[in-house]
Parts: sequence; C-alpha cells; structure tokens
Amino acid sequence: MAANYWASTQRRHWLFTRERLAEIREGLKEKDKVAHSQFPLPDQRLLNIYFSQQLGRLGKRMSTRQQALATAQVYIKRYYTKNEIRSTNPYLVLTTAFYLACKMEECPQHIRFVVGEARGLWPEFIAPDVSKIGECEFSLISEMHSQLIVHHPYRTLSDLQPELALTSDEVALAWSVINDHYLTDLPLLYPPHVIAVMAIIVAVVFKPSSQTSSYGHPAPIAGAMREGGMNFLAALSDKGGTGPPERIQKLIAWLAESEVDIKAVIECTQELVSLYEVWEQYSEKNCKELLGRMVKSKSLEK
Amino acid sequence: MSLTNPPSSSGPLTATSRPAAATVSQSLSLKRSLQATVEENISSRRPTGSGYTSKVRVRDRYHIVGFISSGTYGRVYKALGKNGQKGEFAIKKFKPDKEGEIVQYTGLSQSAIREMALCSELDHANVVQLAEIILEDKCIFMVFEYTEHDLLQIIHHHTQPQRHPIPASMVRSILFQLLNGLLYLHTNWVLHRDLKPANILVTSGGAIRVGDLGLARLFYKPLNSLFSGDKVVVTIWYRAPELLMGSRHYTPAVDLWAVGCIFAELLSLRPIFKGEEAKMDSKKTVPFQRNQMMKIIDIMGLPNKENWPGIVSMPEFSQLHSLTATRAPNHFSRHSNLESWYQNCLKNGGYSAASSVGTPGEDGYDLLSRLLEYDPTKRITASEALEHPYFKNGGPIPANCFEGFEGKYPHRRVTQDDNDIRTGSLPGTKRSGLPDESLMGRATKRMKE
Repeated sequence: MAANYWASTQRRHWLFTRERLAEIREGLKEKDKVAHSQFPLPDQRLLNIYFSQQLGRLGKRMSTRQQALATAQVYIKRYYTKNEIRSTNPYLVLTTAFYLACKMEECPQHIRFVVGEARGLWPEFIAPDVSKIGECEFSLISEMHSQLIVHHPYRTLSDLQPELALTSDEVALAWSVINDHYLTDLPLLYPPHVIAVMAIIVAVVFKPSSQTSSYGHPAPIAGAMREGGMNFLAALSDKGGTGPPERIQKLIAWLAESEVDIKAVIECTQELVSLYEVWEQYSEKNCKELLGRMVKSKSLEK
Repeated sequence: MSLTNPPSSSGPLTATSRPAAATVSQSLSLKRSLQATVEENISSRRPTGSGYTSKVRVRDRYHIVGFISSGTYGRVYKALGKNGQKGEFAIKKFKPDKEGEIVQYTGLSQSAIREMALCSELDHANVVQLAEIILEDKCIFMVFEYTEHDLLQIIHHHTQPQRHPIPASMVRSILFQLLNGLLYLHTNWVLHRDLKPANILVTSGGAIRVGDLGLARLFYKPLNSLFSGDKVVVTIWYRAPELLMGSRHYTPAVDLWAVGCIFAELLSLRPIFKGEEAKMDSKKTVPFQRNQMMKIIDIMGLPNKENWPGIVSMPEFSQLHSLTATRAPNHFSRHSNLESWYQNCLKNGGYSAASSVGTPGEDGYDLLSRLLEYDPTKRITASEALEHPYFKNGGPIPANCFEGFEGKYPHRRVTQDDNDIRTGSLPGTKRSGLPDESLMGRATKRMKE
C-alpha cells in the first residue's frame, strides 16, 4: 500500500526482470521497424540523461523538490514501456509527467504555469494550449493504470542514516547516487531499498570524492568505483582476511545481518558503473538534434 | 466515494416527486434513454486525429441502470457488468471542466488524482473496493463495487416512521469494522479527513467499507504542510476541535474524533454536534466556526489548559476566549456532560441489558469519551480503540453487522430520472431519496483547493 512497498502496485506491476524489459522493448520495436531505422536515437541512458537535465531545468524554474522530479522520471520510464518513444513528442511527455508528479508529490503547479515554463524552454515542441498537457495526462494515467504512488530510495536512505551512523557527506553522496540511478533502468528492476543500500555502499566504500554530482563529470567516479568495487567484492567473499577498514567492515557486517539481497546490490552497483562509463559519450547537442528531427519529421509536436 | 452526499438546501428531489404509478413501459423507455444519454455523451465527442482514446470503453463494459447521487465532483451511477463481467457497480464520474460549451482537457484536480492513486493501492475488507478506472472522453470514471447501504441511510431508516434504536450488537460490529478500516488507512499513512455517515458504506452482507477518499491523503513527510493544500477539511459536524481551533498540523486523530461523532449518532440517531457552518467571507479567509465549537462545548464542557495543554497555542484560542467572555460566568460548564448525554441517549433509545436491542453499556461510554477527547495527543488511536473493552468484552463480533437483525433496510434509491447526464452544468440536487427535512439543512459544503 501507500506506505508499504511490499503490497504496492510498484512492486506488483512495475517491477520487471531484465529479460522481460528487453522483451517489451523488442516488442515495441517490432511494431514499428521503419521508424526505428529512420530515426535512430542515442543509447537509452544517454536519452535519460538528456530528459533528466531538461526536467531539471523545468523544475529549477519552479523550484521543485527533487522527489517530484524523481517521480516524473519514473512515470516517463513506465510510459515508455507501453509506448514507443518514436510515436510520442518526448517534450510533451516530459512536461506532463512533471505536471502530474508535482500533484502526486504534493507540490502542485498550475497547468498554465507549467505550459508557460515549458514553452519558454522548448518553444518549438510545446503548444501554448493547455489542453495538450491535459490530454497527455489522460494518456499517462491510463497507461499507468492510475498507479501513481512511487516509492523512492530517498526514504530508506534517511531511515538508515542514524542506524549506520552516516556522515552528512556520505548522505549527500548517497543522495546524488540515488539521483543518478534514475538515469538507468534500475527503478524498473529493483526495489527502492536495494537501491538505497547500493547508494550507501557507493558513498561509504568508494567515496568517489566530493566532486560527484548528478550532472558533473562522472569519469573519475567510474574509475573509483571500479577499483572500490574490486575491494568491496573481495571483502565480501573474504570475511576476516586482511580486510578493508573498520568502517567498511561494519557496513559489511550490517549487510550480512540484514536481509538485503547482496547479489542485487552488486548488480545495481555494476549498472551504475556502466552508466558512468557510457556518460562519457554523452552529448546534449546530439540528443537534442536526434529528438528534434524525429518530432519534426513525424509532426508529433502538433 | 460519496454515493450519498446529503442534499443541498436547494434540492427539490426530482426522483421523489415522480408519480409512483409510472408504467412498466414508461420506466423501460426511461432506462433506454438513460443508457442512451450516457452513450451519446461518451460517443458524441470522439477525439479526432491522434488524440487520446481510451483502450477500454465504459459502455462496452457496463450497462448503466440508474443515477445514485451527485456532488461537487460529479455524479454516481449504478451499473451492471456487461460482456461476461458479473455484478453490480457504482460508477463515479468526475465532472470535466468546461470552457463555454466545449469540454476541454484542463488538467485533473489534485483531489481526483489523490483519490485515483490511493484507491488503486488500497486493498482491505473495510475499505471501498475499486474495480477499475476508465479515462474516456475527457472524463474519469471510477468503477467501484456497489454497496446497497450506507450509515446515513441506516440511521435515517431508524427514525421512520418513529424512532427505533439500532441494535447494540449492530452498532458494535459497525464501529469495529469502521475502526479496522481506519487502522488500515492510518498504518499506511493515509488520512481520510472526511468521515461521516454518508461516507461509511455497508454491503448487503453487512460489511462496512470506508468510502470516498476524495479528501484522503498521505501524511508521511509531506512536502508541503498538510494545511497548505486544502483550507478546510471534514464536514463541519464531524470536524475535530483542533481543526476548529485552526490547527495546521493535523494528525490521524481527526479521523478518530469523527468516529466518535458517528458512534454517538448511531446511538442517538442524530448528529451529536449539529452546528451551523460559518461561510468563508469574500476575502476567502476561513472564519472561526463559533457555532460548531459551541455545540461541542455544550456537551463536552469548556476546553482548558488542564485537559488540553496545547490549546493555548492554537490560532483560534483568542476567539475561544472572547466567546466565553461574552457569556455569563456559568454559561459554559467547565466539566463534561458527556456521561449524562450518554445515559439519556441510552434511556431514550431503550438500550438496556434486559431489552432485545441490548446496550453498549459502560464500556461503550468509556470508548466514546476516549474518541471525543479534546486533546488530539491523548485521543485514542484506531489500534488502541480496537483493543478497548467495548470490543474485548461481550463476545465475538460478527463480520456481518446485520447478523441477528430481523429488520430490513430499503435498497439504495436508484433513479432513472437523469436526463442531464451531459457533461454540462449539474443541477443543485445532491442525493436522490431521503426526503427528510431534517437532513435538508446539512451543512456539508466542502471547500477544496
């Protein structure tokens, strides 16, 4: 239910295996092969980075809380498991997801205001007419079967902070790792507490220095995580050996006692490492051009 | 869902003024026209081009048999499942916004979004069950299981033709199930915020379902203070004293005060605190609900910093002070008269161990006094209430609140008389049925965001 992840629609309906997710996407592709070859798009994660940055710009102008942005990103992911991106106007979907998420996260914005701001950012892709957003909202809610309550890892992070005696630096770092995980498929693949634990481990074990930020320069993080990951994996398999520092041993002990799926946590970490690697190829310009060409050629902005 | 919003004062009840001797063929043709108006309404504005179209269509899945009620949100219809789908349903249709004559997408209200999202997650035997939500033709249709009764209707039935009490065992079962549903909501961080007899639904099998989550919301670390969203919450007669005193941070305790009011109403068949609502002025400032607070004080005595330490810091404390200052020194009792109210109520209702209706007894009084506790921090919680001697003593509690009850309640009134199903302006009539003058004046206007 609302506060109970285990009974939630998120767990029951919006958690996929990697195989299932790949199948779904293959199915969408099969339906419109022509569009796929005609309009190549960047790697999904690079697109996600682009969407997230655009959402961030929209949210910043309305000083929206991070949690509403996170919810909007999850809505976009869910929506694109049901709809081929090439048959949508991603700017409209993004704006609508933002508008809906703000209502759901109790920081509502007036539809006219949202449309006005979105038009300021993407005048070519957002019509002045609020009814477009209203209509897209119907589509979003309908595709998500009104399952709009999203459980985020942020809550688990704040719950675990005192228990694991996390410093404020570590919390801030874990927080930004959680922000980053919305750029991957992880929110569709793992429960929020697994993500939170992963973020804590990254923050405590790898400490990819303080320069980490969601949209900064991820390359050093990837390097740090690769090395740190090795140490961590070694520590997990070799308990009691020469071992890592005490702080990390404590975390490992806590992990071992908790019922958190360690294998899942490691998979999440790897996913994040590979995100930071692919990030190096990110080009905002490229995403913008490819999306723009797609929307314009198919007249999706109309 | 409010299947049963009490009528507004403007409401001539069209349904009841219809001559009873309508012929079968007439009523059949009315049925047809009702279905037709629903369908016409749905199909007349097929979106053109690439716009949104629902994959599921209301008229493919349901046969509309009649109109149940309307409110600020829209209308509720009774429907039967079609095409292999069995059972009866109540379909709540949210009124779309209109600009001129053309219905436009204008963005859904936050309360509709909340209700849709919460109902999709909730799953409990004592909470109204959602079948599905269909978004079609710019309207939202929330499809719920159909419930034959509600507490407002049951209470009303016991005043006709003369007052006869609701059996004590039925009251106990109703209250237990209500608290059980509320415990589920509260443990899931959902505040109901609008509990009242009309929103407590009862199935023909005697199961209680907490309904109408239109004002419900999550209270786990809200981004905004709970106060900021909607200015006034809860039908005034059931509104907790801390809300009347202007509290900004309300808690699950507001729902338990309402349960106390409902408990009292089940026993006395009248609202215990039947105040008159002070309307918002032109500046949209929320007035102090002086009359409602007086009604509470009349029975519960004057709140003070001994029995409610937090009261001195309440925004409306000075109002309360001025209210008492203008009266004679002994006008307000300093102590509670609830016990004598309760004993009177039992006596008038004929509740006694010797009679066939039984009695809620001293345990019932104790629970009532803990629900109607001024101080929200001392008020009993749903889980504590379920452990109260009122439920622990006196044997098992039937899951069917009608168990052992000889009487029969009338079916929910469903009318065919609804020519105005178009999405246009809705008439001021609220509830169909219940032609009871005492209910006509119900101050129920909810002020939402």
